[in-house]
Amino acid sequence: MIRNGAPVRVLIVDDEPDICWALTHILKSTGIVPVTTTSGREALRLAKSQRFHLAFIDAKLPDLDGLDLARRIREGDAAARIVLVSGYFYCDDAEVRQAMVAGLIADFVGKPILHQQVEAIAREVLSQVVSTSRVIAPVP
Amino acid sequence: MREIHRRAPRRAGEAADSEAGRYKTLYSMLLDASPSSVLLIDSQMRVVSANRNFVEKALRSEANTVGQRIDAVFPPAIVQQMDLVSRVRAAFEHNRPTRGERMTYRSPGLATRTYYYSLIPFSWKGAIEHVMLLLEDVTEQVRLGEEARRAERHLASVVESASDIVLSTMVDGTILTWNAAAERISGLTLGEVETRTFFDLCAEPHRADARRGFETAKRGKGFGVAEWDLVTKSGALVPVSWVGSTMKDDRARVVAIVAVGRDLTERRKFEAHLLQSQKLAALGVLAGGVAHEIRNPLSIASSAAQFLSEEPEDPEFRRECRAKILTGIERASRIIENLLHFARPGEQPNMVQVDLVRVVRDAAALAAAQAGTQQVEMNIELPGNPVLVSGVPGLLQQVFINLFLNALGAMPGGGLLRTALDRAGAEVRVQISDTGDGIRASEIERIFDPFYTTRPVGQGTGLGLSICHSIVRQHFGAIDVESVEGQGSTFTVRLPLLKNGIRQ
Ligand SMILES: Nc1ncnc2c1ncn2[C@@H]1O[C@H](COP(=O)(O)OP(=O)(O)OP(=O)(O)O)[C@@H](O)[C@H]1O
Ligand SMILES: [Mg+2]
Repeated sequence: MIRNGAPVRVLIVDDEPDICWALTHILKSTGIVPVTTTSGREALRLAKSQRFHLAFIDAKLPDLDGLDLARRIREGDAAARIVLVSGYFYCDDAEVRQAMVAGLIADFVGKPILHQQVEAIAREVLSQVVSTSRVIAPVP
Repeated sequence: MREIHRRAPRRAGEAADSEAGRYKTLYSMLLDASPSSVLLIDSQMRVVSANRNFVEKALRSEANTVGQRIDAVFPPAIVQQMDLVSRVRAAFEHNRPTRGERMTYRSPGLATRTYYYSLIPFSWKGAIEHVMLLLEDVTEQVRLGEEARRAERHLASVVESASDIVLSTMVDGTILTWNAAAERISGLTLGEVETRTFFDLCAEPHRADARRGFETAKRGKGFGVAEWDLVTKSGALVPVSWVGSTMKDDRARVVAIVAVGRDLTERRKFEAHLLQSQKLAALGVLAGGVAHEIRNPLSIASSAAQFLSEEPEDPEFRRECRAKILTGIERASRIIENLLHFARPGEQPNMVQVDLVRVVRDAAALAAAQAGTQQVEMNIELPGNPVLVSGVPGLLQQVFINLFLNALGAMPGGGLLRTALDRAGAEVRVQISDTGDGIRASEIERIFDPFYTTRPVGQGTGLGLSICHSIVRQHFGAIDVESVEGQGSTFTVRLPLLKNGIRQ
């Protein structure tokens, strides 16, 4: 397991600061230190300045629609894995299913958040990123 | 006649010689032209002459007609039905005519025909010389008459079987006709309504209007469309949509008023369902908002609990988790509390006589502490005497507290909060103005929506104004807003005044 300085960059966007707090603490066990913001526009700006492997996006942001934000992030970086987080939708809502089928989002996490689900997603991304970075840049 | 006619060409010259001959020719021509059958019968019951129509219609030759006895000329069935022999005899013996009798006859293989006949004695110089038999085939007329009657019956049955009420009244509104639908819907028979007026049958609150409608109708154009409830036999009310028109005679005088009424019971039920489903849809939107609002604090509390269940070593983090659980639960329950207020706008609260001046003053006092910490100056202009309204003091106070808190929220850097209360006609007006951020014109429509908030998360539920709105509505009042972005907002609450304990 990669500890500090893990090459996996994660973005968390939720207008509720305590949700950002919770997600940050959940990811701690995987060694990931995420970037958090409560604003959709700020998230967009961050995504333009750096690439994120994984982004947790709240579906209902006051300034931007969550799925819209996901679309715009992926326009800049098609490899970004997006997780929609929502207390409004259910995982089998038509809008959510469509976004999954279209490949816009990779996962859906409902509120209240189950920590295990978030951890599993993070570990999966972690293993992918680590294995591909080994292939591309093998450690001497 | 037939006989004469045949010889006519030959006798035309002779006839011209004598006046009698001339008339004979003329009359025989007239008779032959007649579409009726005309026979002359002598006292021996013999046919003296028969016109062309008879010979043709009876399919006889003149040879076996003229000079024959009538019971040989007519089929036995006719002779018997007409009682021909005794009628002719009566004509001869008593100078008694038979007029306008009706007879039907069906010759073998042909359709039944209907005849009118008359037997008229012809006397000359005191003696009855002949009896004239006039026979007219009226089959066609009878058929037409029957058709007309059938059409009439058909129309009547259209009216009778219509599912809508079709009724007619005299000009004064007295019921004339009343179809089956009217009977079915009202439970009243024509006999029961015949002497009553239409307005009598309308529900009391609609009676005057119906009477006016008929007054208008009387003047010519009907009363258009109107909704007047009908009182049934059992006293129940049936909502009916009426269309009124007038019936005019040849001289364009209104002789009757025709009203067609549709029972709206089913439609009303449908409308109620629609309203209900719209309410449910609105509730769905509300529920969606609630889900979002409540799941955030729940999720935070849940996360904190999940962290604690892993028994973290850091005492500071454990303390943080416990605090998050408590605030999360508090927030969730505050939302529910607000919702409960919001969900009960229909409930009729126990209203009492309330001094609005006092309510506003108390609410302002509660807001004053907060105002002080924000450098907001409070300027309150209240009348010295009580201003009475009917209401629930606690709820009214909530309205003003919410408005004050919103105003203070809009002035984080200080400002002026002005409150004025004045009477305007039958209502009292409370204006709360701030010099805060103001509201963008595009957002002003939304501020009364539940869950609409621009406050940072966790600080506003967005229910404050929707609660104010529903409370004010409950008190038969209104709440409005005027705002200029960057300059401030004014919220105005209007409530009906109580005068001598009576709502104005
Ligand atoms: N006096 C005001 N000046 C400017 N904006 C206002 C004012 N009053 C209300 N608003 C706007 O209307 C929104 C809705 O107000 P409302 O009272 O319904 O909810 P809230 O104040 O946000 O939340 P809560 O009342 O639950 O604390 C506010 O968030 C704010 O944007
Ligand atoms: Mg408020």
